[in-house]
Amino acid sequence: MPAKNYDVIVIGTGAGGGMAIKTLCDAGLKVCALNSGRRLDPEKDFRNHRATWEMKYRGFGDPKTRMKDTPGFLDSEYNPGAWEHDVGFTTAPGTKWMWPRCSAVGGKTNFWGRSSARFGDIDFKCATLDGYDSDWPMNYDEIAPYYTRVEKMIGVASTIQNRPSNPDGVYLPPFNFRCLDWILRKGCEKIAVPYLPDRLAQLTVAHEGHPACHYCGDCTFGCEVGAFFSSPWFLLPSAEASGNLELRTNAIAKNILVDESGHASGVAYIDRESRQEYEVQGRAVVVAASCIESARIMLNSKSRHWPTGIANSGGQLGRNLCDHLYADTASGYLPQLLGQPSFPDNVGANPIAWMPRWQNLKNPNEEKFVRGYSIYPDGGCSEFPSYHNRIQGFGSAYKQEIKRRYPTPITLTVQAPTLPSKTNFVDIDPESKDTFGIPMARIHFEWGENELKMFEHAKQVSAEVFHSAGAVLESSAEEPEMPGYSLHETGTCRMGNDQKKFVTNRFGQTHDVPNLYVCDASVFLNCTDKTTTLSILAFSLRTSEYLVEQFRIGKN
Amino acid sequence: MAGQSIERREILRILAIAAGAASFPGFSRWSFACGHVGAAVNQIKPATYQPLFFSASEYATVEVLADLIIPADDTPGAREAGVSEFIDLMVSRDDALQPRFRNGLSWLDVHSKAATGDAFVKLSPSQRTSLLESLAYKKKFRPGEEHGREFFALIREYTVMGFYTSEVGLKELDYPGLKFYAESPACPHKEDPEHRSLTPPKD
Repeated sequence: MPAKNYDVIVIGTGAGGGMAIKTLCDAGLKVCALNSGRRLDPEKDFRNHRATWEMKYRGFGDPKTRMKDTPGFLDSEYNPGAWEHDVGFTTAPGTKWMWPRCSAVGGKTNFWGRSSARFGDIDFKCATLDGYDSDWPMNYDEIAPYYTRVEKMIGVASTIQNRPSNPDGVYLPPFNFRCLDWILRKGCEKIAVPYLPDRLAQLTVAHEGHPACHYCGDCTFGCEVGAFFSSPWFLLPSAEASGNLELRTNAIAKNILVDESGHASGVAYIDRESRQEYEVQGRAVVVAASCIESARIMLNSKSRHWPTGIANSGGQLGRNLCDHLYADTASGYLPQLLGQPSFPDNVGANPIAWMPRWQNLKNPNEEKFVRGYSIYPDGGCSEFPSYHNRIQGFGSAYKQEIKRRYPTPITLTVQAPTLPSKTNFVDIDPESKDTFGIPMARIHFEWGENELKMFEHAKQVSAEVFHSAGAVLESSAEEPEMPGYSLHETGTCRMGNDQKKFVTNRFGQTHDVPNLYVCDASVFLNCTDKTTTLSILAFSLRTSEYLVEQFRIGKN
Repeated sequence: MAGQSIERREILRILAIAAGAASFPGFSRWSFACGHVGAAVNQIKPATYQPLFFSASEYATVEVLADLIIPADDTPGAREAGVSEFIDLMVSRDDALQPRFRNGLSWLDVHSKAATGDAFVKLSPSQRTSLLESLAYKKKFRPGEEHGREFFALIREYTVMGFYTSEVGLKELDYPGLKFYAESPACPHKEDPEHRSLTPPKD
């Protein structure tokens, strides 16, 4: 029986892959999507309002199985098996990296943090402004219509803010401020730091057939009603309804196949269950497996035409891995709220507010670092009194103090972008293969001076915010979280006009292989101070429509 | 990652400590919640609980310690929340934790006997409190008791974990989540954005 030939093979079903799948299927192309893990069932695999005491290990998971030596798992007792355990990776000497990968259909969009700010020209023209690295190969006006369409599609709650670093979009009503937000906002006002509603892809009103949020607080265990954007709730249903999608689960992409001319002809993958290798043929291939995974697949795609990996003639594949430095720059409590009744502060399970980049806006070099960072505040009554170890003692007094402080805890977390660096990259470890026999990605990464300066700066400002808001500062991170912690890695297949310096062109099409496209954050020049998902969706939509057009004019 | 609340990171920290794996890096979505549906399936207390890991005397000490850390007073305490069963379950499944609990309990009895001639569980309430205070309050720390302080911090951590993930523990806090709200909850004190003059809490 001759193998079925698809129009497009899409690797990955998360934000980038999901958007590509939807766009291509809606346009009538026949798509085969490969996803490395299984499908989740919201009824069974999401938390569904289950209480901790209904779980054998109270939600902590079984200590015997929950942790491994290798970093990078986000398993919970609520979502067993959703996260990758089997496909390993290695790190170069001196590199620490955690790499949590959701292998379930929809990827990390099932459980993401939902903060959704647009990138702007302050990001796209970064090199022009500060002289470092390269500008993006497009300006804001070019991508803005895609952001608008994505926001209308997924629903983002926020306000018009007129911030120079943060273009405004099309928004649903914002989340209401809680007590802690008003107090912190007053404190921020006094020292001219912005404190505003975050941009949250979480539905404050019903939107496009999706129900409004009911604020139960379960979000990061998966929403059983689909009240925030995820690929399985928002993108895949229309693709599946079109009849143009075949979704293969537990299909771990191994390498991209090429024809005699060196063009992409399909994908080889390993079936996770049987461990058999299969091939699937298509007229074009979209890689959207997430930044490092996409680089790994392409670097492992060696052939006569591409001896160092497909589309790597410039030697740029895997280069310029960027990440967000995360750290809790200030933790403590608001004495104003001591002993107040419990209040549903944390039922959106999100920061609700943010302190968007305010540094280096008037002049790109006014600080000791270039570019800028954002801060997310968090706090109030949550499911667990995580401040318990800041109180001494035991007995009734201890128990009462835990109760008295319940509405008061606050934390500020910095999100600072790394600058692209020659020493931060992904290659293939020549010595190691994973359990499926696939050569593993090796990560080379260290924080650079610029982001560490931002970290110090953020600590100083965070302490000032606490002081100004009348908060009690109890701790401030000495070290950032481990690289990879943010799940915001970008780079490795960066886009740009120069074939020697960039892997893809400005549309996400690889320079070397015209029928090979990249639709995830690996095309981003750097990670900016904003989160990645909204931009992945916007760029993937643009790339996918460009791909459809190439089919229409007969170029793919 | 924006949107991952600090409590998850706190849990990770707890688990990293528990596993003795200081390098364990991240956060997780382990969570704690007070539900509004379903039965309390893990709080059935048999008349005589058979510990999975601890010996009978160790388990008796764990029970006493958990009750001292979170006692029943106006509201239920560790015993009503099944904390010692929870600790026994977690320790039974965690090889790295087992010696730390076993050695810690042993430390406690050795020190108790050295000071009073009796094992910890045989002490009077005031003797127990006095011994724990030297492990719990910086001002009362005594030299040479580092292991004891470390053990006290460990068992306090697990007592808190067990208590505030139980139904009675979440009720104690009046946890407001896992409910249905018609709109995103808003601060009720808009006339006082700095919250300088809130009504003081009632006793």
